[in-house]
Amino acid sequence: MYDFIRGPMVWISIAIFFGGILWQVFRFLTLSQAIEEPKLKRPAGLVAEVPPAGVGGFLHALKLSIFKTSPGMIIVTSVFHLCLVMVPLFLLGHNILIERAIGFSLFSFSERTSDVLTVIFLFCGLFFLYRRLFLPRVRIITSGYDFLMLLLATAPFITGLLAYHQLFDYKTLMVLHILAGEAMLICAPFTKFVHMVYFFAVRFSVKGEWALGSGNRNW
Amino acid sequence: MFKKNTAGVDTDLIKKRLDSRKAKMKLSLAACAHCTLCAESCFLFNARDNDPTYMPSYKFINSIGVLYKKKGMVDRAALQDIRDVVWDRCVLCTRCYCPFGIDIPEMIAFARTICREQGVFPDFEKEQKHAG
Repeated sequence: MYDFIRGPMVWISIAIFFGGILWQVFRFLTLSQAIEEPKLKRPAGLVAEVPPAGVGGFLHALKLSIFKTSPGMIIVTSVFHLCLVMVPLFLLGHNILIERAIGFSLFSFSERTSDVLTVIFLFCGLFFLYRRLFLPRVRIITSGYDFLMLLLATAPFITGLLAYHQLFDYKTLMVLHILAGEAMLICAPFTKFVHMVYFFAVRFSVKGEWALGSGNRNW
Repeated sequence: MFKKNTAGVDTDLIKKRLDSRKAKMKLSLAACAHCTLCAESCFLFNARDNDPTYMPSYKFINSIGVLYKKKGMVDRAALQDIRDVVWDRCVLCTRCYCPFGIDIPEMIAFARTICREQGVFPDFEKEQKHAG
């Protein structure tokens, strides 16, 4: 059983994860279509606003974004998502296993760095939990499913941290850690985590007021 | 087995309408992470002392979201509730922001279409709710 979940099951989960992402991208492409000409054009007499150069330009862009209304949430969510992707990808333990399996691996953070980033990630998770429980606007649209999603995202990190520090039974925690990671990979493209695909697909390709990219597609 | 009282509601027609845009609507509902970053983009939310029932995500979850969740098997009272959400709490100004680019106005407009087809819509002349 242990050999199965740390062997073939890992590859199955990764295949489902990437297969699911491809399926969602395909779904997005079938639901939207490419558009030729932008329908709205800036009137000839209206000069485009030129943002200040350098750091000033970045701050100017931030002020025009959602960062202006919800700076705390934007900082926490950015850190949370960066850690969510970076920590497992650049974890020394994972990379040693990948190296053994395929003879190639990405560079690794020091164990201390990964440890600190994991704790930061979990604090961000706590921030989300606090919002879900105590902020009226979040609470009103929160269901059990949202808590399950938060648990699914943080479980691999909680079990990984406990296993690394050899708290509780190491072997049991390792099994839970592997299962939690695989569950997250398998569920990601088919649950609320699908927002990871649609953030990039929609914000960068669909034309709109808040588009981040060229906007050459439309629903 | 308990059967919902859907008298006076053409549930088949609602189901047909829901199916016609199922893929995109279900996707939009699934992509919503319930982050509430859309709240401040709604001028009604700001004008009503940050009342969360004016939040764009609350509005589409409690209108088109309910219709999909119940697969169109709703009673008249549920449609009245949806009517209150999609007309009284939204003016379709299309200014709502979503970090994932969810087309919220389209969802609200679609809920309005379904309500209107069932004869559930505000009669402004009779109601005169905000008349001076």
